[in-house]
Amino acid sequence: MSRQDHPRSPISGQYGEDQDNDVFLSDRRVNPFLQQLPSYQSLLKRTKSTNNGTRERRKSTIHSRSSSLSTPVRSSFADEGSDDDEQSIREYAISLKEKRKLREKKKKNAKHLVGWHHWKVDTLRSLKRFQMESLAALSVLKLWKSDIHEIEGRFGTGIKSYFLFLRFLVLLNAVIFLLMFGFVTLPVAVSKFGIINATYTQTNKNFEHCATYGVTSRGLIHFYHYIIDMLSGTGFLERTYLFYGYYKLDAVQFVDFKYNVPLAYLMVTIAYLFISLVWIVRRSVLGFKSSLVHDEDRFQTYCNKIFAGWDFCITDPETARLKHNSLHQELKTDLEEERIRKRIAARTKGEKIRIYLIRFLINSVVLSLLVGCFYCVYKATIYSQEYIRSGVHSTYFLLDLATEYLPSLVITFANVLTPPLFDIIIQFEDYSPAFEIRLTLMRSVFLRLASITILMFTLWSQITLCPEGECSPCGYNYKVYPCWESRVGQEMYKLMIFDFIVIMATTLFYEYPRKLIVTHWKCKLTMLLGQQEFDIPQNVLYIVYGQTICWIGAFYSPLLPAIATVKYFFTFYIKKTSLMTNCRPATRIFRASSSNFFFLLVLLIGLVLACIPVGVSIGQIHSSKACGPFVNFNTSWEVIPHTIKTFPTAIQRIVFGLGSEAFAIPFFFVVCLILFYFVALAGAHKQVVEQLREQLAMEGRDKLFLIRKLTQAQIEMGTKFARAQMLPSRTSGREKRQVRSESQSSLEHAIITSSAKPV
Amino acid sequence: MGQEVSTYVLPNEEIEEYQVLTFLSRQEIISFHHKMFMELANSEEPHHGNIRLSSRIVSSLPELKVNPFRDRICMVFADEDGEFSFDEFLEMMSVLSDNAPLKVKIEYAFRIYDFNGNNYIDEEDLWTVILRLINQNELSEDEITSLVEHILEEADLDNDNFLTPAEFENAIAKAPDFFNDNQERHFYCH
Repeated sequence: MSRQDHPRSPISGQYGEDQDNDVFLSDRRVNPFLQQLPSYQSLLKRTKSTNNGTRERRKSTIHSRSSSLSTPVRSSFADEGSDDDEQSIREYAISLKEKRKLREKKKKNAKHLVGWHHWKVDTLRSLKRFQMESLAALSVLKLWKSDIHEIEGRFGTGIKSYFLFLRFLVLLNAVIFLLMFGFVTLPVAVSKFGIINATYTQTNKNFEHCATYGVTSRGLIHFYHYIIDMLSGTGFLERTYLFYGYYKLDAVQFVDFKYNVPLAYLMVTIAYLFISLVWIVRRSVLGFKSSLVHDEDRFQTYCNKIFAGWDFCITDPETARLKHNSLHQELKTDLEEERIRKRIAARTKGEKIRIYLIRFLINSVVLSLLVGCFYCVYKATIYSQEYIRSGVHSTYFLLDLATEYLPSLVITFANVLTPPLFDIIIQFEDYSPAFEIRLTLMRSVFLRLASITILMFTLWSQITLCPEGECSPCGYNYKVYPCWESRVGQEMYKLMIFDFIVIMATTLFYEYPRKLIVTHWKCKLTMLLGQQEFDIPQNVLYIVYGQTICWIGAFYSPLLPAIATVKYFFTFYIKKTSLMTNCRPATRIFRASSSNFFFLLVLLIGLVLACIPVGVSIGQIHSSKACGPFVNFNTSWEVIPHTIKTFPTAIQRIVFGLGSEAFAIPFFFVVCLILFYFVALAGAHKQVVEQLREQLAMEGRDKLFLIRKLTQAQIEMGTKFARAQMLPSRTSGREKRQVRSESQSSLEHAIITSSAKPV
Repeated sequence: MGQEVSTYVLPNEEIEEYQVLTFLSRQEIISFHHKMFMELANSEEPHHGNIRLSSRIVSSLPELKVNPFRDRICMVFADEDGEFSFDEFLEMMSVLSDNAPLKVKIEYAFRIYDFNGNNYIDEEDLWTVILRLINQNELSEDEITSLVEHILEEADLDNDNFLTPAEFENAIAKAPDFFNDNQERHFYCH
């Protein structure tokens, strides 16, 4: 029953010999019986009356013979209960005139409503109107609405989703900053002004030698030292609210309760990670839900591409031309992929073994490349740290700056060189084109985000590295890193500043000159280079990288989210200007629906990779004894057990019980059971859907069969009727009636006999 | 251009009625009124009931000018003479706006894609849709046939080689590019 068995081409007007599915008559009009089906009639009733009129006129000639078989249609919209809200009138797909008539009719019906009912309808209506107006008012406040609309008109929805993603990150960072500021910075600042009593942290007697955190005297300071300090967070910036070290507070005494600052600090960290997770998952669930119900979990089905392919918001003719081209390209690529998939499925065993061997080799090459990059980052970090420690200042302050920024430089360098390499390598692995793109992207993502984690772990190895047992009392290398959290915060600060500088520099020194050269100097080389296209995946990687830094750094530098918000705010305008002036619309399509999911997936990977260093740092590494709110605790996490011990015994027992094995193992089992239940439920639903589809196909075949037989029978009756008309006039009316009844019975006979025939 | 003549302002009751019958906000109704009569019709007619725009003029709107389906859009929304009064114009803008629910858009999309007007989307319609989408680019007959087959494979549930409105709705409702999941904009426009 596959469609491939009936090749046909409507353009050439030939139909397959097989008549099973043929409901179109030879002159390609729709079979009249098909037009009398109730499903068809209900559609007609809902079209506009004017269209209905023209179609009725067209069909009236066809219907004249078969009017006896037409069924009355139940249409009544106005009779559907007097409870219908006015809102539902506009949801009917009829013309405005018809809607007005409908509304009048409903008003008449509603006149005899009971008083309370009437009042209820009235209040609902006014509530809905109020809701509409307030939503309209709020939408005016949305950030950058007109800018994004402009981008959409010229470049389409694929690039627009990048800017919407940027806007989402601005909001996310603003929320994180407000959290940090409200719960940590504000109480500390308020107490510093002496308004409220505050207890400062006192170091334990045993650890006093760890607690020296003096200012290193610099002697004569040149002006450029201020610039270096500004850019790397040292010097005058180190002892400000910007870094962890300044929050040396144990508790703030408000009027009736004691505000536990270390606890607040830790809880806010956990809170912002959790909020980010929830927000991202909520945004990505919508795009994912549609593929869960359907059997094939593809985002880009053919229906999607063709019926929803045209971007109705394009206004520019040039963009429209490019859209046509890109749609054409995409459809061609899909057909090509289909061919490749068939080829892959037809691989012999020998070929398969060869391919797997090649892939194994290439993956090990990629792995060694990654390890090489990570080793470079490790070495660069160690060198940079040693340089800072030694305190040697060269005569060229740029060299100083470069050494401070060495880890960032190495990471950025690696991320510029390796993606083209990945592009070349993947050609040998013989995947389908869509999978190639995804795999290259995943590799780049992993490289970029794992570099930060490697940086963090290198720093920790330096902090906990103790030659000759230097750090046994305090748990970390207190001589070199008296306040290691501030140092880590400084590294994150440097990464963030450098990231912003890179974004500005690429726009100014690479994209703008490229555009100038290509437009004004036409030679073969520039033609080859071509004009700049907005590379969405790489740009998304950039901003996810920045966001990961912010997530890690917010624990060590509470004001970092504010810097991130400002940075993304300016990035929007820089990218938009660069897009408008330097770039041309993309030739390769980047579907907005799947790209939304891709952006959020990459962001989620970044979040997970950010949680690891923060988690290890909170739970494992000893907090510094010279600065910060966790001076009195071994590790930062210890605040929580300490606080729980101050709760009443009953709650203590419950909380400790939740953490013990006696609770965890049964909980795990129950969760597994629930998971299995839902998986089984989903499987059962899929089965039911399959069965219903088969049934529907069967019903369709039955319907076509019956229509075909009816048509045949009607033709037979028609010929007999015509013969009856041609009888000589002297035949009596009785005889004519006899002939007619004969033809009627023969029709019934034809139906009965034909229904007995096999399909 | 008749600046000295006072421009016709829609009375409040009419605006409210349009708010109930369409999905447009008050602001949008007023701006469409202005756009239709002051810019497109170039007229000083005091009452909007008399103005009729031909489909050709409406197709020259910036949103529709480059749309490959603009003739069908105009045909679906216009009255029997192929002309637009303010009512029909608002109806068109309402269906294309953000607030219109998916159901309404799918119904009108079905009518727009039904090129031969037989109330089904058959293979001929699909051929036309694909050719319109790729415009002047080339796809071989085999390729287009295979595309049409893919679509019917996905959407045609009862295997009768054309799409009824129910099948179309079922296919489109799952298309992630069609509906407004936060930011998507296909079959929408301001």
